[in-house]
Amino acid sequence: MQSALPPIAVALSNVSKWYGKFQVLTDINLTVKRGEKIVICGPSGSGKSTMIRCINRLEGHQRGKIVVGDTELTNDLKKVDEVRRDVGMVFQHFNLFPHLTILQNCTLAPIWVRKMSRRDAEEVAMDYLQRVKIPEQAHKYPGQLSGGQQQRVAIARSLCMNPKIMLFDEPTSALDPEMVKEVLDTMVSLASDGMTMLCVTHEMGFAREVADRVIFMDAGQIVETNAPEAFFSTPQHPRSKLFLSQIL
Amino acid sequence: MTFDPEFALSILPRILSTITTTLFATIIGCMGAAALGFLWEIVRRSSKPGRYTMRFLIDFIRSTPLLVQIYFFYFVLPEYGLTLPGLVVGVLALSLYYSGYLAEVFKGGIDSIPAGQFEAAKALGLSRLQLIMFVIAPQMLRNVAAPMGNYFVSLLKATPYLAIIAVPEMLSVALEIASETFRYTEPMTVVGIIFLTLALCFSGLVKVIESRLRLSPKAG
Repeated sequence: MQSALPPIAVALSNVSKWYGKFQVLTDINLTVKRGEKIVICGPSGSGKSTMIRCINRLEGHQRGKIVVGDTELTNDLKKVDEVRRDVGMVFQHFNLFPHLTILQNCTLAPIWVRKMSRRDAEEVAMDYLQRVKIPEQAHKYPGQLSGGQQQRVAIARSLCMNPKIMLFDEPTSALDPEMVKEVLDTMVSLASDGMTMLCVTHEMGFAREVADRVIFMDAGQIVETNAPEAFFSTPQHPRSKLFLSQIL
Repeated sequence: MTFDPEFALSILPRILSTITTTLFATIIGCMGAAALGFLWEIVRRSSKPGRYTMRFLIDFIRSTPLLVQIYFFYFVLPEYGLTLPGLVVGVLALSLYYSGYLAEVFKGGIDSIPAGQFEAAKALGLSRLQLIMFVIAPQMLRNVAAPMGNYFVSLLKATPYLAIIAVPEMLSVALEIASETFRYTEPMTVVGIIFLTLALCFSGLVKVIESRLRLSPKAG
């Protein structure tokens, strides 16, 4: 199966984006191979979230080209839907549906988008809830869970759609410190299964352990791409050096 | 003329005999108003032309008196070949009039849903319709239960307007009795008390539903 998929998971070429007159992304070039894990870091406002949100078209880009799998993202809504079915996303604030149980959160999209039967969808959902180690919470509501548990549910909810690529937008930033590890552990185990991952995060331990490449962004541009070890020990660009000296 | 309790009691059954019309107009009117109001609000959010059209429509509906709208539908539509029974015209007019207000209520209810909910649904690949049905509508209803209930009670109290287009409901029967007996005190008092009772029951029901919704779990 794996060989049938195109070897390039995501390709951004010369992507630029503006909010009104303000340019948030400038000439972004990035090619992500299938199975590759990319960690994106940089100061706030550097455009890292915007960049990954362009990959499933939560944000549109104005110039350049974004290809996900073999689908180019345009205003064609059919293609956008196609891409979104194959790209999972985990948000900083979890964004679970508060009126649905954990299990319903996980089965909603498989049933209505993938047209699975309720029974199959529930089986798949329980499988993934097992994997993120909270099957016993299946019939509770999101509000009854801790932040770390909610984020693990959000990961399971994405995985239920059987995505080929996972996007993480600061998945641990809104968590209490003692809950960060349980979420990162889930992400590490996902990485070891060969998932293609793009993670916006400042978790350096995670980047060291999992990332194939670290991308540093500043002012809407990719200013440095490096192997994680090299990036943290000997950053090349002065702005990366400054950034690392501030957070470490 | 003093209040005659015996006379009041004697006309009670005759007035009550039309309570079904009042309840029918209220229930169908509420359902119609909610459905139309939700439709207006969804169209208003869908596109720029939709936004301007709906803003105009909603302002138009809310800025013309209900009484005028009812007369208009009852006397003007037949000139264009559309003759409907008074009760149908009345329910249509009530639905339309209150849909304008409910659209505004729904707007507030949707505005207070966090943007992340829309984003999560889109990221999962849900279509627009699925997003509205499974993610937005249920959360909106929880937000708007109280103000929506108030408009439902207000719609109930607007049903006597149907008397002016000869729908046999409680006020029109009371007026009939008044013109037969030249006594207004008792028929109007009786009608008033019946509406008071209905409205209190109705708003009590709304309160129960509201507190039920508040008890159901929310995102923490």
